[in-house]
Amino acid sequence: MRRFLGALVFAALLGGAAFWFLTIPRGLPAAELAGLPPGDAARGETWFWAGGCASCHAAPGAKGDDRLRLGGGRVLKTDFGDFVVPNISPDPQDGIGGWSAGDLANAMLRGITPDGRHLYPSFPYASYTRMKPQDVADLSAFLATLPAVAGRTDPHRLKFPFGVRRGIGLWKLAFLTDAPAVALSTDDPAVLRGQYLAEGPGHCGECHTPRNFGGAMDVSRWMAGAPAAEGEGTVPNITTGAGGIGDWSAGDIVYFFETGFMPDFDSVGGSMVEVQENMAKLEASDREALAAYLKAIPPQPVP
Amino acid sequence: MRSLPILVGALALATAAFAAEDPVVVRQTLMDGNGSAAALAAGVMKDEVPYSPVIGNAVIGSFAATAAAFGAFFPEGSVGGESAAAPKIWEDPAGFQSELAKFAAATSAARAAAGKDGPADKAAFVAAVQPIFDTCKTCHETYRIRK
Repeated sequence: MRRFLGALVFAALLGGAAFWFLTIPRGLPAAELAGLPPGDAARGETWFWAGGCASCHAAPGAKGDDRLRLGGGRVLKTDFGDFVVPNISPDPQDGIGGWSAGDLANAMLRGITPDGRHLYPSFPYASYTRMKPQDVADLSAFLATLPAVAGRTDPHRLKFPFGVRRGIGLWKLAFLTDAPAVALSTDDPAVLRGQYLAEGPGHCGECHTPRNFGGAMDVSRWMAGAPAAEGEGTVPNITTGAGGIGDWSAGDIVYFFETGFMPDFDSVGGSMVEVQENMAKLEASDREALAAYLKAIPPQPVP
Repeated sequence: MRSLPILVGALALATAAFAAEDPVVVRQTLMDGNGSAAALAAGVMKDEVPYSPVIGNAVIGSFAATAAAFGAFFPEGSVGGESAAAPKIWEDPAGFQSELAKFAAATSAARAAAGKDGPADKAAFVAAVQPIFDTCKTCHETYRIRK
């Protein structure tokens, strides 16, 4: 009996040690961070709109310049509990004014905070991880130009066991990858640019791709449409498969990003309104690149 | 046999009456009308349809007619099935009314700007119609869900 108890304690210790070791937050290599050239705020503005930062971090319903006030506070109600979107304005106390470009790169590309804690993937680093560090440095330079907003936001209110942050380390081991979501055998620069925009900063797949048992995007059904993570209804299939947008021309897709009108002149709704208005701020060539990419990805039926 | 056309006619009439009583069908038909008006307006903006003040008035008049009627077809519980109406319409009636009022105000302003003969040129037409377009999105953002 004593021996059995001993073995049990040993196994528990071993399991704990393995959990501890496997879930250590791991940042980018120091050499890579040290080698980051200074960011360019003008280029960073593109990543700000493409990344949709304001859609979550500005006040809900904010219009015009208020979309540049990133004080957070919006609550994302999900099956895991309520995520409270943090303040990412340059306020040194309540926001991220004290973060370096490298700190932002660790958050966006590896999902860790400057003090070495895991971030929840409700912050879509599972997509941002595909971004180039230089683009994050440019974004960091742009964010620093925005107004500081005072006010620290509440902590998340999550259901057990999702409140155990260290567990995110296991989730990352299983699911976090910067590999392309779909393999495209093309060297068309427009398609590749669209792939970078859509799979990285644009994080389109976070809503448009169904999730697997672990809550990660199922790349085998990339962009096939999914139940809305928040609220009711569904997010549409945006591949060329059945139930998707195969009957939209590339020009229709570009026009949609410009104006919010679909080919039948229904207008954009739900959380896509913000996304469309962000895409309307990009260069025309980037909207064309997104359209080329959506035309090139594998067709999927509605799941 | 002579009664067959009468029977078919009566059936069609009954169907039409039934359809008119279903608020979901009515409001969807009204929104389809908005879509057609928006398509014509976009055709003008993209220079695919040559502009004339008659077109301007037709577009604005169509939006205005929908704006005047649309809000009357959302009785409590007319949700689910084919309807893309969000439950929020009934949870936040004041917010929904405010969106309807914005739509109506934008169409009234456009009618006033258009006058009896319609906006004189394309630029005047676009200036009158764009505020109407903007209200599509602000309402759909909160009060319409995708099925």
